[in-house]
Amino acid sequence: MKKAYKHSILYFLLFSLLLLSSGLMLFEHKIGLNVNSVLDYYLGNQDKYTAAKSMDGVLKIVLPHIFAFGLFSMVILHFLLFTSSRNKAEIKIIVYLTFTSALLEIAAPFFIILGAGFFAYLKIGSFVLFESLIIYISWLLFKSIIHD
Amino acid sequence: MRFTLIKDLRQDATMKPILAGLLLFIFLFLLSDIFVKYSNFGIFPHALKLTLFGDEEQFLDPLSQSSFLEFWHVEIFFMMMILLTLNAVFIRLTPPDTSQIIVINLVMISAILSLISLPLSFFLSDSFIELYVVCFFTWHLFALYMALYSFWNLYYEKSI
Repeated sequence: MKKAYKHSILYFLLFSLLLLSSGLMLFEHKIGLNVNSVLDYYLGNQDKYTAAKSMDGVLKIVLPHIFAFGLFSMVILHFLLFTSSRNKAEIKIIVYLTFTSALLEIAAPFFIILGAGFFAYLKIGSFVLFESLIIYISWLLFKSIIHD
Repeated sequence: MRFTLIKDLRQDATMKPILAGLLLFIFLFLLSDIFVKYSNFGIFPHALKLTLFGDEEQFLDPLSQSSFLEFWHVEIFFMMMILLTLNAVFIRLTPPDTSQIIVINLVMISAILSLISLPLSFFLSDSFIELYVVCFFTWHLFALYMALYSFWNLYYEKSI
């Protein structure tokens, strides 16, 4: 790989970490990282004077995220094709897990509104899994750029 | 990206206008971004301080934490995608020399610093606003240069 591409991807990884940090801060600030706060955020809480979210409201937030999650996942994952571990089974698992966790993260709020409170666990779990996978992919790419 | 696979982009009759269009839109995005930020958010220290922290005398409310985080989050996403695309085109259309690496490093470092200085200004100290302003103009200027230089090389440079 050209030196200039390596520099470019390294900076992209830094941007990715910033994106993850801002996403985590936003999640923590607006929703909260425990099951009760997730349920309160989507179903409302009379004691806290917060209203329940509507399907339309959630769809408005989710819409740009569908595109952003897909594009971001594709871009960062396709860099793995240029590493020496491109044909390993581990990479295939990472690809499936990344898109699955992104999909669950996006879909969970709808199920919570429909009354399936269990999906609050899935919302937090898929968010944490997606962030962890992106960090791990960034680490794999960083290692490859430094050593290959 | 398909244009990273074609051997000589300047000889490819289809890819040439596609890349020219892409560069034109990136150029327009960068210019528009300056004007939109100027009118909505501020690109100079005084206006930025008013947006972030408000002003009691002028009855201006400070930006809420959740609005700030949303703005920052969207900003990071757009910048990373624009700059990655622009870098990919720039690398293919300019000679692979030291100046190419320097320009890529300058644009990316200033863009990342501008993104880091924004929350530092909001949460820590307003003295980081000056750093944000310098980095904001630096990355925009270098990105505009990259778009123009790539465009020039696509049509007029024969020696690459």
